Amino acid sequence: MRRALPSASALMTIGAAAALLVLVALPVAFILLQAVFPEFARGSLAGAFSRLPMIVEDPRLLTQTRNTLVLAFSVMLGCLVFGLPIGVLRGLFDIPGARLWDVVFLIPFLIPPFIAAIAWMMTLQPRGYLFQIAGFDMGRQLFTFAGVAFVMTLNLFPLVYFAVSRSLEGVGGRFAAAARVSGAGPLRAFWLITLPLSIPGIAASLLIVFAMAIEEFGTPAALASRTGFEVLVTGIYNRLSDFPIDLNGAALGSVILMCLVLAAFFVQNWVATRRSYVAQTGKPANLDKAQLGLWTVPVLLLFTVVATVGVVIPLAAIVATSFMGTIAGGLSWDNFDTRHYQPIFRAGSRAAQALVTSGWLATVTAFVTAAIAAAVAVVVVRGEGRGRQAMDALSVLPNAIPAIVLAVGVILAWNSPFLPVTLYGTTAILLVAYAAILLPYPIRYAVARLRQIGGSLDDAARVAGASQPQVLGHVLLPLMAPSLIAAMMLVFAIASRELVASIMLAPAGVRTVGTFVFAQFEQGSVQTGMAMSTIAIAITSTILLAVNLWLDRRGGSAFSG
Amino acid sequence: MLRHLTLAATLAAGLLPAAALAQSITVYTAGPGDLADAIAEAFEAETGIRVNVFQGTTGQVMARLEAEEANPQADVVISASWGSAVDLHERGMLMEYVSPNAAMVPDFLKHSHYVAQGISALAMAWNTQSGTPRPADWSDLAGPEFRDLVTMPDPAQSGSAFDLIVGLEAARGEAAWELLAALHANQMIVPGPNAAALNPVLQGAKAAVFGAVDYIAYGRAEQGEPVEVIVPDSGTVIAPRPMMILASTANPDAAKAFIDFTLSDAGQALVAETFLMPARTDVEGRRPGIAELTVIEVDEAAASARRDEIIARFNTVMGR
Repeated sequence: MRRALPSASALMTIGAAAALLVLVALPVAFILLQAVFPEFARGSLAGAFSRLPMIVEDPRLLTQTRNTLVLAFSVMLGCLVFGLPIGVLRGLFDIPGARLWDVVFLIPFLIPPFIAAIAWMMTLQPRGYLFQIAGFDMGRQLFTFAGVAFVMTLNLFPLVYFAVSRSLEGVGGRFAAAARVSGAGPLRAFWLITLPLSIPGIAASLLIVFAMAIEEFGTPAALASRTGFEVLVTGIYNRLSDFPIDLNGAALGSVILMCLVLAAFFVQNWVATRRSYVAQTGKPANLDKAQLGLWTVPVLLLFTVVATVGVVIPLAAIVATSFMGTIAGGLSWDNFDTRHYQPIFRAGSRAAQALVTSGWLATVTAFVTAAIAAAVAVVVVRGEGRGRQAMDALSVLPNAIPAIVLAVGVILAWNSPFLPVTLYGTTAILLVAYAAILLPYPIRYAVARLRQIGGSLDDAARVAGASQPQVLGHVLLPLMAPSLIAAMMLVFAIASRELVASIMLAPAGVRTVGTFVFAQFEQGSVQTGMAMSTIAIAITSTILLAVNLWLDRRGGSAFSG
Repeated sequence: MLRHLTLAATLAAGLLPAAALAQSITVYTAGPGDLADAIAEAFEAETGIRVNVFQGTTGQVMARLEAEEANPQADVVISASWGSAVDLHERGMLMEYVSPNAAMVPDFLKHSHYVAQGISALAMAWNTQSGTPRPADWSDLAGPEFRDLVTMPDPAQSGSAFDLIVGLEAARGEAAWELLAALHANQMIVPGPNAAALNPVLQGAKAAVFGAVDYIAYGRAEQGEPVEVIVPDSGTVIAPRPMMILASTANPDAAKAFIDFTLSDAGQALVAETFLMPARTDVEGRRPGIAELTVIEVDEAAASARRDEIIARFNTVMGR
């Protein structure tokens, strides 16, 4: 039995490494090859490096790079403003309806970003819903740089909220309590103890916001073209969707994106590892959160304001649009009509198939990515030597490439005629892409969490006679569970409405929620697109709410260590 | 129980490679999606051949074809841009086939390797409740009544908008560019592809689209939106939608049957249903046909060659 232990650990390392290599490194390698060899997709190595100078010479690429950076930083700041206060409050205080707020702030992930952008457009533009209700419009404000950053912030601020609140819960009230006992005031304890200890979680979430902001396609595509600035992703998309297609230029743009995100990652990594942030030592933590007391009403008001702007308004615009007989009819009861839902509820309709397909794809993706992430986190945080570093570098790679380019990498890699069997042309290829695209979230969450769990716990368990798998199963996994489950919910939410990779990879005859909605907006009816979004958001919210209620039922202790 | 069966069937159908099903073909098609589904269903009912449809924009379809070049998946491709068929043919990717049902398709809409499925025309889509005077010609949209109220699809994203610029240039020379400059001076916006240009007009944020794809606007009008399709007497361009069989197909007979069906009476009736002009002259459309339009001839090959130049000039004129 003893002898089998190292091999179990080795197996886990090998399995996690293999998963990362196949899911992530393979498509990235093909993209790099495409960037270096312009004719690679046609099977030729001619003209190697001939187009690489474009990266520093092409004025359009430079402008796009600058726009991308400015936008990503603005969105990061915006997410701090929107997400940090409520995240801190949620993490440290007993907020009435805490689990419900969690579900509310998950909703932005359920709304496809370009649908959210359209909803804001239909609300704020001249003669939009705001004008119909209040008699004025904000089209001038929306179609500006600040407007784009604002809408993107509303899509992404929940990342900061969840990371901050989970991280602070992990830190617990115990250290702050120790500081208070030593004479520090509550504010001082927060600034000197609690906040610094939760920096890995906050930094991780900011990295993800940064990566998502520069990867985001829907919002800039819907709004930025009106304001006249192009970002790298829309540039890459245009190179891939405008005829003739420029795979090489798209690959070059992706290389710039990868560099930007890798730089962000190293900053985050430096912040996260330069000191020890061990906050989980196994000693009984004080799980009782502080009471808000007199502050209950103002805090709830703040939550309500954020939820109204971030969730209620876009959601209301989507739902209202789905029930409109005609767009021109506007917000009036005469114009109320359910006919745009009919094509969705028809038995065996393509819309129903799309819902089923997206549902099981998102579920499987959530479990697969969580399993891989747990293994990767253990290797990255607890492992030693070169394998650990290689794994760390591999795990950040999917962050560094936009979904659309990863999809092209998947096509290039999996569509080679030399493969005897390929997943390409089957629905399984979507799983491969979703897992690769969404792996960063569970990995970041799990790694940040594991960094807070002291290695002494493992040692104690080993001393007590536990085998390595037992340490993993009975100590580390339960301790990582809150972060893993939060990440799985995030993965499920994003995967269930994933668009770009689905468009590129879904085999003929297979539709997902994202591609169905997109097709409706492009060719069908805006209202049916909004109706499908409404249904998908309702189903996903219900599932997430159920998971949250179940967690509540299990009691916090099982999961919050 | 039924739900579980449906789920299992969906899973099985999704996970099996398309080739494993005895008789099936894969069709990559530009929109409209409803048309693709309707034709697929009718074809399946008539022949028993299963049709796997991938529906996207022309750009997405072409991107997929290029990315899959090493291992092609599609049998039949339907694009919204005639130029893309010309290009695929030049690269030797198409199979020669002339359907017997193409006899009534006019010569300029067919070729030994591709044939039109249907035709759209470029038009002005005008919101009748916008409080603006009904425009009669393209140039009316540059007038003061339409200041800040006009949208245009981006020619870089909409092949048909590109064709319109080429057509106007062919018909008017430099005056076409002066018109575009006047539209820009009149605060016209270029928000994206066709739908992005039309949607602000439906809500009333804008009053008219310069260069709307007509069948989409007709479809919205049928749903009750107050939008009128106006084709200027001074002329417009048409955008035939080519159907073609890829040379790499493993099911040439099924693919040919699909082309035949789309050009049959039943198939063309479905095309007409979506407000496209049917390719066959003997099938009646639900809207004005080619004979009722002043069509500007466009040399597709020459225009394709000048594509970068034209888009660059358009962007300069639009101050982008």
